[in-house]
Amino acid sequence: MSIESQSSGQERAPLITVSNLSVSFGCTVAVQDVSFTLSPGRALALVGESGSGKSVTARSLLGLSGGTVTADTLQVCGRDGLALRDRQWQGIRGNAVSMILQDALMALDPLRPVGREIGDALKVHGSYSRAERRARVIDALKRVHLPDPELRARQRSTELSGGMRQRALIAQALIGDPQVVIADEATTALDSKLTALVLQQLRQLKEQGRAVLMISHDLAQVANLADEIAVMRRGKIVEHGPAAGVLEDPQHEYTRTLLRAVPSGVPRFVPLSASPAPAAPTAVAADAADSAPALRAQNLSMSFGGRRAVDSVSFELPSGTTLGLVGESGSGKTTTARIVLGLQKPDSGQVQLLGQEFAPRKESQRRELRRAMGAIYQNPLGSFDPRYTAGQLLADALSKGKSKRAAGGYRDEVAQLLEQVELDPALASRNPRELSGGQRQRLAIARALAPQPAVLVLDEPVSALDVSIQATVLDLLDRIQQETGTSYLFISHDLSVIEHMSDRVAVMTRGRIVEQADTAQIFGDPQHEYTKSLLSAMPRLR
Amino acid sequence: MSRLSKILAWLFIAFWALTALAPALITPGDPLAINPAQAFQAPGAGHVFGTDESGRDIYTRVIHGAGDSLFIGLAATAVGMGLAIVLGTLAAMAPRWLDGIILRVLEALYSIPSLLLALLIIAFTGPGVGPAIIAVGLSTAPGYARLVRSQIRTLKNSEMLEAATVLGRGTWLKVRNHLVPNALKPLLALVTLGVGQAVIWAAALSFLGLGTPPPAPEWGAMLSAGRTYLHLAWWMSLFPGLAIVVVAAGATLIGRALGGKARTI
Amino acid sequence: MGTLGWAARKLGGALVVLWLVATAIFIGIRLIPGDPAEAIMGGPGSQASAQALAAARAEFGLDQPAAVQYLMFLGKLARLDFGTSYALKRPVTDVMAEVLPKTIILALLALAAAWALALLFAALAMRANRFGAWLGGMVEIVAAAVPHFWLGAVLIMVFSSALGWLPAVDNGTAAGLVLPVLTLALPLAGFLTQLMRDSLATAMSSQFALAARARGESRLAVFWRHGLRHASLPALNLTGWAFSSLLSGAVVVEVIFARPGLGRSLLSAVLARDIPMVTGLALFSALVYILVMALTDAVQRAIDPAGAAS
Repeated sequence: MSIESQSSGQERAPLITVSNLSVSFGCTVAVQDVSFTLSPGRALALVGESGSGKSVTARSLLGLSGGTVTADTLQVCGRDGLALRDRQWQGIRGNAVSMILQDALMALDPLRPVGREIGDALKVHGSYSRAERRARVIDALKRVHLPDPELRARQRSTELSGGMRQRALIAQALIGDPQVVIADEATTALDSKLTALVLQQLRQLKEQGRAVLMISHDLAQVANLADEIAVMRRGKIVEHGPAAGVLEDPQHEYTRTLLRAVPSGVPRFVPLSASPAPAAPTAVAADAADSAPALRAQNLSMSFGGRRAVDSVSFELPSGTTLGLVGESGSGKTTTARIVLGLQKPDSGQVQLLGQEFAPRKESQRRELRRAMGAIYQNPLGSFDPRYTAGQLLADALSKGKSKRAAGGYRDEVAQLLEQVELDPALASRNPRELSGGQRQRLAIARALAPQPAVLVLDEPVSALDVSIQATVLDLLDRIQQETGTSYLFISHDLSVIEHMSDRVAVMTRGRIVEQADTAQIFGDPQHEYTKSLLSAMPRLR
Repeated sequence: MSRLSKILAWLFIAFWALTALAPALITPGDPLAINPAQAFQAPGAGHVFGTDESGRDIYTRVIHGAGDSLFIGLAATAVGMGLAIVLGTLAAMAPRWLDGIILRVLEALYSIPSLLLALLIIAFTGPGVGPAIIAVGLSTAPGYARLVRSQIRTLKNSEMLEAATVLGRGTWLKVRNHLVPNALKPLLALVTLGVGQAVIWAAALSFLGLGTPPPAPEWGAMLSAGRTYLHLAWWMSLFPGLAIVVVAAGATLIGRALGGKARTI
Repeated sequence: MGTLGWAARKLGGALVVLWLVATAIFIGIRLIPGDPAEAIMGGPGSQASAQALAAARAEFGLDQPAAVQYLMFLGKLARLDFGTSYALKRPVTDVMAEVLPKTIILALLALAAAWALALLFAALAMRANRFGAWLGGMVEIVAAAVPHFWLGAVLIMVFSSALGWLPAVDNGTAAGLVLPVLTLALPLAGFLTQLMRDSLATAMSSQFALAARARGESRLAVFWRHGLRHASLPALNLTGWAFSSLLSGAVVVEVIFARPGLGRSLLSAVLARDIPMVTGLALFSALVYILVMALTDAVQRAIDPAGAAS
C-alpha cells in the first residue's frame, strides 16, 4: 500500500516543498532542519508534544511563524516563501493555503457575526459584491452541513453550539477554495463525535484533491486520515514515513513512546508509559470486590432553571474498582460529580459513601466522612491556594488545615506522598505555578491521597494533558489503585481513556445514564443507540 | 515586585512619612512666616520654589503641607475603606435579598459623582477638615465596596474553597486559612491606590475653599491662593500641584505593582 | 431576556436609586442640628427673616409629623418641583435648565476627546518598543494622577499666559472651550489608555486575530475589524463611571475657567448652604448618571450580546 500511495504522490507536483527549515525566536531554536513535501490529495500529519515545534512549522507555511525563518527551500504553491513579503503572503493566506485553528470558541471573533468572519476571507481576495459574498458564505456553510445557515451566519460564535462552531471554522477555511488546508490541533479537546465530524470533513477535503497538513499530539487521531506521518520532538523530525509503516513498525524510540501512550484497547493495569513495571495486583483489590459498594448513587436529579441537568442517575461503585462515566460536554457528568462530592444539593436522590448517608446531609454531620472521598479536577491549579508551595499544600491536607508548615512534624509524610506520586521531594518548596501540567496533576493526586480516602472522584483528570504525559498520569493512577485499593469514579469525554481505566462504564447523555455495563460489554457489544453512535465516532489505533 | 522596585517603594513611603511627621527635619523655616518685602520672588537661590503674595517660602510650605494633605488623604481612605470592607463583605456573604438591598444602596451612592457627593455632604455639615475627611471617605466608599464584594464573591465561589470543602474543612478554617489571606493582598493594593486618589479629592475640596482654610500650608489651599496670581506667579501653583502629582502617581505605581487595577475613584 | 424586559428592569432600578438618593437627602436635612427651617434657608449664620422662615416651614410642612413631611417631600420631587433657591430667588428648575446643558456639553466633549486620545495612544503603544511601552505606561499613570485643578492651572500658564494662544477664561467661543475640555479629558484619557492597551494586546495576540491573519487580512485590517472592538469594550464598560468622574471634574474646571454650569452652581449653593438648590442638583446629576448608564448598557448589548447578558 505504501508503495502505491507513494507512486501516486509522485505523479503530481508537490504543493509544498520544505527542506531544512529552521525557525528561531531570539536565541531559542523552535524548529530545526525540518524537511517534507506535500502533494495534492495527500495528508501529512505532524505529530508531537506541545512545544515540539509542530505549530511553528505549520505557521511558517503561511509566513506567520513570528520568528526568524531560514531554509534551503520553502516552496508554497509555486511561490518561494523565503522571498515573499507580508503583502504577498496575504495573497496566499486563506486563498491558496488556509488554516483551521484549535479552539473554535476563540478562533472566531466572539464580537462579530460568524458570517462576516467567514466572508472576510473573500473581502481580502476578490472583488465580490456584498450580496455575492453573502451567498458564497451561505453556500460554504451548507457544504459543511450546518443547519439553518442563514440564521447562523447572522449569529456570533458564542451563540453557536460546539459542533456548529467547528463546522463554521471549517467553512471559513474552505471558502477561499484553498489547495492546502492546515489543521492545527483541530481535533484536540473535542469529544469523539466532534472529532469524527472534523476528521470526516478533512477526509472530504483530501478526496477533493486538496493537500491536508494535520497537526496533533495524538497518533490515534491522525491514524485514519494521514498518508504520511512525521513525528516531531524538540524542533526536529525524528521519524518520517508512510502512515502504516510508522504506526505498525516504528523505528524511533520516541515514536514507540507516543504509540504506547494511546490508551484505547490497552487492557487495565497494563502500563502506557515506560515507567517501572507495576506491582502485581494485591489482595486488597481482589477482596474488596465482594464487600459493600464504596459509593452508591440513587436516583439523583437536579434541574437548573427548568432544564434537567441530571435526571434519575443511579450507579454503584464496588470497592477497589473504577467506574467510568463517559459523555459529551453538557451531558451532566460534572453536575453529577458535584452532587456526589456534596458540593451541590440534589433536588432528589441520595448518595451513600461506605454505606453511610453522604448527600443530602448537613455539612457538619458529614465532615468526618469527607476524609473518605477526594477529588481531582481538570485544572488542578485553580484548586490550590495560590500562596501555598507544594509542600505546604500537602502539610495543610495532612494536618487537616491546622498547619501548612511542612517542618511541623509532617516533613516525612510530605516526602512520602510526593514519592508515592513519583515527584521529586525537592519540589516541595516550589509554588505549583512553576510546575508543569503533569506535575501539577500529580501534586493534586498526592493531596487527595493525604487523608487516605476510599474513593476518588476524578473529573476529566487528564483532558488538559498531552497524550504522552497523560499516559504517565494514568499509569500512576493504576498503580495507586493496585497499592491502596482506592475506588475511582472516573469522569471523561475521552472514550479511549475510559476504556483503558474502567471496570464498569456508564454512558451519559442529556442528564441520563442510558447504558451501564462492564467495560468489555460496552465496547464490544453496545446495546443503546447512543453508545453505538459514540463508539463509531471513536478514533482507534488498535 | 522586583527587589529594586521594592526598595524604591519603601524609600518613597519613608520619605513622605518623614516629611509628614517631622517637616522641620527637612526644612527649618516657618511655613507661616510673612515677609512682604520678599513677596512674589521667582524660584532662585534664596527660595528654590519662590515665594507667595505675603513673601512666605513656597518650598517650606510644600514640605510642611505634606502633613495636612497626607493626613486628610489617609484618614479619608480609612473611613472609605473601612465602610467598604464592612459593606462589601456583608454583601458578599449575605443571602441574596440582603445583597440586593446593599447593592441598591451602593448604586444610589455611586450614582452621584464623587466630588458632587462630597459637596452634598458638606452642604449639610458645613466646611472644615473633619467634614472633608468624612465627605471624601463616604464618596469613595461605594466604588471600593463593589470591588471588595466582587473580590470576596470570586474567592467564595473559587475551586480553591471547593477543594477545601472536599477535604473536610469547616467554615472557620476556610475563612481563616484561605478567604481572608487571599482577600488581603488585593485589598492592600486597593488601599494604596485609594490613598493617592483621596489626597487628590481632599486637595480639591481645599481648593474649592471647603477643606483646610488658608493660610495653613495645605496643598489644595495653596493652589487656591495661587490661582489668583496665575499670570503673575506661576510657581505658586506649579509646586504644590507637583507634590500632589508625585504622591498620587507614586501611590498608583505601588498599588499597581501590588496587583491593583486603577479603575475606581 | 427581551428588550422590553430589559428596559422595564432598568427603569425600575433607576426609580429605586432616585428614591434612595431623595430619602438620604431628606434624612440629611433632619440631621442638621437646630431649626430645620433655618437649615433650609442657609443655616444659623444666614439670618433669614421670620417671614422667610415661615414660608419655608409652610413649603416643607415642617409643622407636620415627619412621615407627612417625607411624603410631601417625595410628592414634590415626583412633580419635578424642587422649590425655590433662596439664594438666587429663582425656581431651582429654571436654574438647572440654564446650567445643566452647559455642563453636559462640556462633559460630552471631554468624553469624546478622551476616547479619541486613548484610542490614538493605545494604537501607538502597539508599535512601541520596550522603552516606548515603559514610557507610555509612565505617562498614563502620571496623567491619571494629575488633579484637574492643577492641570487647568498649568494649561493656562502655558497656553494662555506664556504663549497667549488660547483664552484663560471660557468666553463662550470655541477657542474658550479648548482648555476646559483638555483639562477634563487628559486624566480620563490616561485611565482609558491603560484599559484599552491591555485588552488590545490580548485581542491582537488571540486565536481569532491569528485566524484573521491566516485568512489573509493585513495587520491593519485585523486592528480595525477586531482589535478596536475588543479594546473599546472594557472602556465602554466604564463610560458610566467616566461620565460621573467628568461631572466631578466639571465642578473644578468650571471654577477655574469661570464657566457657568452645574458644578459652579452646586459649589455656590453649598457655600451658601442653599438646600433646595443642592437637593435639585444632586438628584439631577444622579438622573444624568442613570441615563448614561442605560445608554452604555444599550450600546454594549449591541456590541456584545453574550457578555452583556452575563
